[in-house]
Amino acid sequence: MKHRESLISAHHNYLVDDMLTPGFLLGELSSREEFFFLADVVPSGESGPRISGRLFDREGRFLVELSGGEMVQNPSGCTLQSFSGGFRLIHPSGETLLNVNTHVFTNGFMTRIQGRLFDHNGKLRAEPSRESIKISGGGKPALEKPER
Amino acid sequence: MNIAVCIKQVPDVPAIRIDPSRMTIIREGVDSIINPLDVIALEAALQLRARHGGKITVLTMGPPQSEEALREALAYGADEVVLLTDPAFAGADTLATSHVLARALSLLAPFPDLVLCGRQTVDSDTGHVGPQVAEELSLPQVCGVSEIHLEGSSVVVKQVSEGLIYTLRVSMPALLTVSPELTLPHHCPLANLERAFTEQTVLKWSTRELGLSPDEVGLAGSATRVWRLFKPPPRRKGEVIVGSAHELVEQLMEKLEALSILDEETGSE
Amino acid sequence: MNERSYSGIWIFGDYRNYFQNRVTLQLIAKARGLARTLKTEVTVLLLGDHVHQYAMEYVAHGADVVMVVDHAALRHYQVETYTKVVAGLVAEYRPEIFLAGATPFGREFFPRLAKRIGTGLSADCVALEIDPESGLLIQTSPSFGGDLLADVVTPDHRPQMATVHPGVFEEQPHNGSAMARIVYPQVEIESDDRVQILRSRAEQKGKVRLEDAPVVVAGGRGLGSREHFDKLFELAELLGGEVGATRPAIRSGWAGNERLLGQTGKSVKPKLLITIGTSGALQYTTGVQGSETIIAVNRDPDAPVFKIADLGLVGDARTILTLLLEKLRKRL
Repeated sequence: MKHRESLISAHHNYLVDDMLTPGFLLGELSSREEFFFLADVVPSGESGPRISGRLFDREGRFLVELSGGEMVQNPSGCTLQSFSGGFRLIHPSGETLLNVNTHVFTNGFMTRIQGRLFDHNGKLRAEPSRESIKISGGGKPALEKPER
Repeated sequence: MNIAVCIKQVPDVPAIRIDPSRMTIIREGVDSIINPLDVIALEAALQLRARHGGKITVLTMGPPQSEEALREALAYGADEVVLLTDPAFAGADTLATSHVLARALSLLAPFPDLVLCGRQTVDSDTGHVGPQVAEELSLPQVCGVSEIHLEGSSVVVKQVSEGLIYTLRVSMPALLTVSPELTLPHHCPLANLERAFTEQTVLKWSTRELGLSPDEVGLAGSATRVWRLFKPPPRRKGEVIVGSAHELVEQLMEKLEALSILDEETGSE
Repeated sequence: MNERSYSGIWIFGDYRNYFQNRVTLQLIAKARGLARTLKTEVTVLLLGDHVHQYAMEYVAHGADVVMVVDHAALRHYQVETYTKVVAGLVAEYRPEIFLAGATPFGREFFPRLAKRIGTGLSADCVALEIDPESGLLIQTSPSFGGDLLADVVTPDHRPQMATVHPGVFEEQPHNGSAMARIVYPQVEIESDDRVQILRSRAEQKGKVRLEDAPVVVAGGRGLGSREHFDKLFELAELLGGEVGATRPAIRSGWAGNERLLGQTGKSVKPKLLITIGTSGALQYTTGVQGSETIIAVNRDPDAPVFKIADLGLVGDARTILTLLLEKLRKRL
């Protein structure tokens, strides 16, 4: 019988490929210009997801950098829309690059991320999968401690 | 609609005594009754037969004296009764008991549309035999039904579970265990009892008729063993007071105060 | 027993009526102690549809591993469907011990599962320990309504299965910093539609909910008449409770069947039971002896009911009830 495994936090998890995980990283944090996407571990006491990343289009052109829920670099002119429980990152073309939605439970939280993410080589690193996101390529699929 | 009812003969005593040498309950000299919830199951079967016709077969696995329970079942109105008895059946846990009952039920012709039993017995209290018989016969099961209605080749039943009332459709053949809300047993006329004990027959099946080998039944066919039987430590210090009505009520009031029952607001939530 | 060994303690995650129903959390806490002795882990098995929240709760309360099968077909607890899935998982992962709360579902599902697996199961246990010599799980199971306890073992079959009485063990407090492993087995789900839920509704409010009442006031034949029995209703109201009855009282037409206490009626465990004019036949006492405090009133000093009472008053039921009501009306 096959099975898939992950870690799970009592406090907050992201839903990735229909599995709970306390956090994940695509790409590497070390470079200043390359692709990365970090859904970081949320310490007990905090209530929102920690999303950051450097996003590119399918041609490998740099679009936007997110950090701490804000756009710190935005050459392509994306819009960040907040709504109750999350936010949406929208490309000028109208395409939703990223949708982040946090569900509040009695004693914890769960965040669903949906989006189609390309890296600096134009390679597809994340795509929508049923109710969540499916990730591929290098990185760390299940973080135990915050990376940042 | 043919119905089989599984019953168990249980001791009827206010206090249980243990035989420490064999780690069993002392049954000699103890009155026996049909497990009360099984009587309700039988009553439900009688009501269904009155409405829809069919045959009622009552079965029990037990020592030879369990025949009395079956004769009582005849007196209530069962059409046919079967005693499953064999020294090899002794010491059976529910795994082994359900195996014997399931085998016996599979030999009934025609196979019953419904198998009924009480949800649990007053002695072993497990409630396992019903589901385990259903499993062996691959029958759908519902435990603790409070209503049964026939609808074509299904029964529609009600089951109360944790504050919710479920209405379920179950395709037959099926096994149902009954809860006390289902019905009240009726009284058995004395004349029926006499006839049941003198005129009617009780089928008796042992391992041979059932086609079972000794290692499948009884203690040998059981997965659990009892290491120790004991009475729980007495939880009550139990003061018993005699006095005038006033004195007694005083004591009662003091107790209520001590429990803080009188501090709370009156009325229910 | 098969040569490949069995290890690990599994708990069936029963989340119906969670947050009130906390038996799974209680079992996790107990299992952690057993796991330390056996040098193994505690896994909670969770079946359902969109059960993420429960997985996180079980982690917060001490599970080492949560095993999840999340599928629309598992939305409702259904005995045959669940039996098939869980039996397959047990065959694959081979836990040594498998526990479930003795909730209504647990008590229907676990016996069927044990039979499918072909192993032993004890019911409604009030204690669990590892025998130091054999390493077997000693399962203390009540019978005769709790009048008798049996220490049961399953020597040669695995897993060793038991359902456990809710409220026996204490849960660990919620720990938001806990982390655990989560496993998602890939299983085929086949719904068994021989049992279909047509509808479900909550039991009516205002209906007699004896099982929830903090105080139960019960009456038997010793009250003598309907007129005296009816006084119990006032007593119940003054004390914030509900009225129960013995079978003889119901046979006499003093109350409806829904108030019947005992083996063929309701089992109650209130903070306080006042039982008046009841002799204490076994079929009655098995339904009430779990009450925290029992006060009994009966004319006969040898009445069996005094064996289960914390405070026994020997006197006439009618006189005492009347006098009690007088005093309470003044006091409250």
